[in-house]
Amino acid sequence: MSRFRQVVTVLSLSAALTTIFAPSPAAADDKQRFTRDEVTVVPPAVTLIDQNGDTVDFEAALSSDRPVFVDFIFATCTTICPVLSAGYSSIQRKLGEDRERVHLISITIDPEHDGPEELTGYLERYRAQSGWDFLTGTRQDIDAVMRAFDAFVPDKMSHKPLIFIRSPQDDSWVRLYGFARSSDLMAELERAAGEAEAGEEVAR
Amino acid sequence: MTLRSGQSPRPGNDPPFRARWQPLRVGAVAGRWSLVAGLLSGALCAVVAAQEGTIGGYPPDEALELGERMYREGLLPSGEPMRAFVSEDIEVDGTMFSCESCHLRSGMGSIEGTVITYPTCGSWLFKPLQGAEMKPLSQERVPDRLDPPPFRPSYTASTLSRAIRLGRDPNGRTLNYVMPRYSLSSADTEVLIHYPKNLSAEFSPGVDDTTLRFATVVSHDVDPEDREAMVATLEAHVRDHNSQSRHEERRARGGPFYKEEKYAPYRRYALSVWQLDGAPETWGDQLEAHYREEPVFALLGGIATGEWAPIHEFCERNRIPNLFPLTEYPVISDTDWYTLYLDKGHYKEGETAARYIRRSDAIPVDAPVVQVFRDEPSARMCVRGFADARSKMRLTAAGEVELGADDAADAQLWRRLAEEHPGAVFALWLGEDILTMLGELSSADPPPPAVFVSASLVGDGLGSLAKEARPFTYITHSASIPADEERTRLAVKRWLQARKVPEINFDLQSKMYFLGWTLAGMVKMMRDDFYRDYFFDIADMMRDQYYSIAVYPRLSFGPGQRYASKGCYVVQLTEDGTLEKVSNWVVH
Repeated sequence: MSRFRQVVTVLSLSAALTTIFAPSPAAADDKQRFTRDEVTVVPPAVTLIDQNGDTVDFEAALSSDRPVFVDFIFATCTTICPVLSAGYSSIQRKLGEDRERVHLISITIDPEHDGPEELTGYLERYRAQSGWDFLTGTRQDIDAVMRAFDAFVPDKMSHKPLIFIRSPQDDSWVRLYGFARSSDLMAELERAAGEAEAGEEVAR
Repeated sequence: MTLRSGQSPRPGNDPPFRARWQPLRVGAVAGRWSLVAGLLSGALCAVVAAQEGTIGGYPPDEALELGERMYREGLLPSGEPMRAFVSEDIEVDGTMFSCESCHLRSGMGSIEGTVITYPTCGSWLFKPLQGAEMKPLSQERVPDRLDPPPFRPSYTASTLSRAIRLGRDPNGRTLNYVMPRYSLSSADTEVLIHYPKNLSAEFSPGVDDTTLRFATVVSHDVDPEDREAMVATLEAHVRDHNSQSRHEERRARGGPFYKEEKYAPYRRYALSVWQLDGAPETWGDQLEAHYREEPVFALLGGIATGEWAPIHEFCERNRIPNLFPLTEYPVISDTDWYTLYLDKGHYKEGETAARYIRRSDAIPVDAPVVQVFRDEPSARMCVRGFADARSKMRLTAAGEVELGADDAADAQLWRRLAEEHPGAVFALWLGEDILTMLGELSSADPPPPAVFVSASLVGDGLGSLAKEARPFTYITHSASIPADEERTRLAVKRWLQARKVPEINFDLQSKMYFLGWTLAGMVKMMRDDFYRDYFFDIADMMRDQYYSIAVYPRLSFGPGQRYASKGCYVVQLTEDGTLEKVSNWVVH
């Protein structure tokens, strides 16, 4: 190898290192923890199964008169899901007896492994109370749901930290990509609920 | 651990596997910093140890156990859950997730989606992370000034404590918000740090500078043809690997530095066959003796008649991975870790039948259910799977009718069953002899809403199922339907032909074909981090597989998941004798 090529190779490696080891957006204090977008979601007409083994009409579950949160996780997930679920858990803790004000829905992206018993075990681990449902289904139906939310990943280990929030008033959806704080989630809940309450006032 | 040439992140390099984060390493600079940091760290530890003679107030051995519990179970030495905050203001405790969740059992870290989790084992924490390490010859070719800057210096007890409690690395940079900030006392922190310091600190047994040693276990009473089929297929994989088609050893020895490092982790495979004689109760001691004589890195495949429990327990005891043993009698456990089975064997058929009964619209949900079986291991596994599934679904236990060895499965028996259990669903975990008799049940008044039989117990005689019984007979079928997998089956056949391995038992050989294909990727991803736990951590990160396995529609993996096949079809025999699927591959 010529000396020139050696130098070019090393410089390339250095450039790669700079890129690879640059703090990720989420890792820097002054950078955004998450991005927030308004998105359109058209839920598929599928029937899923909840943690009790009961079937759930997915469209009907979303057409609620209360705010709905949706995330995509799986029961044996190592990194992303525990943080998302801890966020759900914190919402329920903060709402206390008012926790039914919001419907928290988790959807497994590992439907082969996650049956109702795995879903139940997972919810227990996060002290889930009523108002938080964890859904599974056939691979085809789960894929259809993921695609509807533009959250499809062919490999579960490649999934992203996503939470979708539906305001019941105008059926609008907000997408949070990243790791929101508990305070951010509560603010989103208030926004979605506030819009609903404002809508009720107008209707009256 | 011998530091080798640089290891760069290789996302997507190996199709079936998730890339693990690996920093580039530079040897010369790394060595100097490592020495200084190591001395400082060592001095600090020595001072603490000298002062107390203990770690966090505990003797070192006890501290190691307590540290492992903190790392893996999230429990403090007091038994209380560890407490922390993630994402700044979300309070969590150790029973939700622990260090092991993200950093994995080996401590080698993971990549999931957008989150990179760094290695936390001793061999990585207590050395600086630098650029690519080069051999002296390569270093001479590149001026020092072109060395990339360090990513981070070596952790010390103090900086590691700060990372765990405040989320800052030795450079003072903030770690990702998904890294919990733990509320720990100094003593508890000391105990926790003691564990990763010893985690994956030395290579696992069974590997040296040239060779990675494996064994496969065969019990003495296995059909010689099956033994030959398994061993011949595994040996073909070993020959493939050792043929060095990419000139691995030559390139590791004398290639340009980027090839030296790429091929340095290459090891030849050595495969031994460990035969087990006598009663299964003696197998544990025999395995220990084999292992003492010849320590191996992992067990590959393996075949035995009867239960796999003695081999399974040996692996748990010694923390030796066993990849894809060929057994219909696996140990069913949610927590054991060191045997990765292809499937749950007969157990899965019973489990699937119970779940299908609940899910099917064609079967009354409140119909009584009766299992009929003889006292045989295969039937017992079906019965257990069925009963466990009903228990998990919080359904009433099914009735059980155990036939004597001499009880004939004849028309009289079926009439009696129909009379004693009118309207019942039957799960008949019996052999081929029941098939022609099943027609008798159709004349019962009322006829049974459903009868379940096992394809693996009935064997090749399914075609003799009475035509009158076909509408209400459901067959559990825990493999793919052959007609669905013709292309994959052809690939396996061609692979065997190309290696001059005779096709003896296609089902078994296709599983070993998949094992070898998987093993190649796992070893490649492991690079020169030869730790057994990491070997299986890599398996847990594998993508779902469906095109390299001929006898299952899909295999899936995940952290702690120890049965790769999650499914079992329920099929029916049509009038023209073909199998028709009436369920999805996975029935919840």
